[in-house]
Amino acid sequence: MKRKAFSGAQRRLLAYAAVFCAVLGAVPSVGAMHIMEGYLPAGYCVAWGVLCVPFLIAGYLHIRGTLAEHRSLLTLFAVSGAFIFVISSLKIPSATGSCSHMTGTGLGAILFGPAAVSLLGLIVLLFQALLLAHGGLTTLGANTFSMAIAGPFLAYGVYFLCGKLRVNKKLSVFLAAALGDLFTYCVTAAQLAMAHHADTTPGGAFAKFLLVFAPTQLPLAVIEGILTVLIVMGLESFAAPELRKTGFLEVR
Amino acid sequence: MLSIDKLCYQSKLRSRSAEEKFSFAVLTLCVCVCCRCAAVSCAVLLAMGLMTVCRGGVPLRRYLRLLLLPLSFLLLSALAITVQVQPAPLDLFAVRLGGWFFTGSRAALAYALTLSVTALAAVSCLYFLSLTTPVPEILDVLRRLRCPKLVTELMLLIYRFIFVLLETASAIGVSQRCRLGNRDGRTSMRSFGQLGAVLLVRSAKRADALYASMEARCYDGELRVLPESRPPRARALFAVFAFNLALVLFTIWRGGMG
Repeated sequence: MKRKAFSGAQRRLLAYAAVFCAVLGAVPSVGAMHIMEGYLPAGYCVAWGVLCVPFLIAGYLHIRGTLAEHRSLLTLFAVSGAFIFVISSLKIPSATGSCSHMTGTGLGAILFGPAAVSLLGLIVLLFQALLLAHGGLTTLGANTFSMAIAGPFLAYGVYFLCGKLRVNKKLSVFLAAALGDLFTYCVTAAQLAMAHHADTTPGGAFAKFLLVFAPTQLPLAVIEGILTVLIVMGLESFAAPELRKTGFLEVR
Repeated sequence: MLSIDKLCYQSKLRSRSAEEKFSFAVLTLCVCVCCRCAAVSCAVLLAMGLMTVCRGGVPLRRYLRLLLLPLSFLLLSALAITVQVQPAPLDLFAVRLGGWFFTGSRAALAYALTLSVTALAAVSCLYFLSLTTPVPEILDVLRRLRCPKLVTELMLLIYRFIFVLLETASAIGVSQRCRLGNRDGRTSMRSFGQLGAVLLVRSAKRADALYASMEARCYDGELRVLPESRPPRARALFAVFAFNLALVLFTIWRGGMG
């Protein structure tokens, strides 16, 4: 008698695994985890937006104060915002072959400081929604909180702390960018879980959202860390004096 | 390089007043998100699709491809909402794995489906705005909505610089590829790092040059641009309002805002 290769349950499991892989394989582009337009209920949209306001006001006052002293820095702020947009829209080399994108906010926080990045990040996210359809208008508040506030502040905190502890500069840049990216991903998963936990607790939903996005986001954080190190090293090696003159790289 | 921006400048609705388009997109978006109802979402999706494709003249295939852009996010999130891991099976499906089940309930699936349709409808509202209204005109509307002057000026400059930097980045990318700069994983990582660094240096120089040219044209702390004002027509605004009122009334009739 010929034995069946798989039992029914095994076959079904195989089928589900195949579906899961197909879904992951269908991911056309891996970017930062922007919450899609219309994905959050109205109450959450407003709440996250309100939560961003103090940070945005701080960023606004920071930029306005800087401009009152040096009016010529207006174009530099604008270019910094455009730089964050462009660096996050470029395809980066990745292991899996699908095209992925950096978030660029960790780099922004290291170069321009977290206060400026909060307001610039809001503008960049608005343009990403309008020009690239990443994120959206109603979810702008939530995305601003996770990408332009939580991530950059953590990245800057890590960078600052590493500076105090005299950690190797390459390592501290790597840690800042990668941890900032991971923190953004956790905050986004938490935002999704709070809004949508159909038949579990918010905690269970948080774990599921973390798990589902982990295969794309974990490698991305590592790659983002490495690329940020390469960019910062590149800047130091051939443009340090010019950039100091214009006000970048003042942190250390 | 940014296909949405290019399509938007070719749109047939471009000459219409920005306020009309902005209010149509944003008001409908808010109603659609507040109602969270599959029927309303389908109506919005249909209305926005017709307006963008038939009136706006965006090719249907490109429009559909744009709508599929957020597909990965939609699929993964729906997966996270529907599938449960717990010791007892639910009513829709269940796969046993040891003592636990990968399982899902009908209610969760229905929830995920409604959510996905709503999100797609919301994306179609966003596309209506971004495929018919160029960014400078949206900035005009923001200016009229009393957005701080510093913010709109920054946005205008950033919008301009995005294209300058994208062009620079693509030129650098081409020359890197000519020199086998992405031969393997290691070299392409290094190339990208150099690209980022060079891009920032060039950007800083551009910023200096732009400021010098602004000073040469008597910049006094305020950027003045000439808005092309096309006043909105009362009929169009009334139609927008009526459409949204109908959607809201329909939702209330169906059993309240969910």
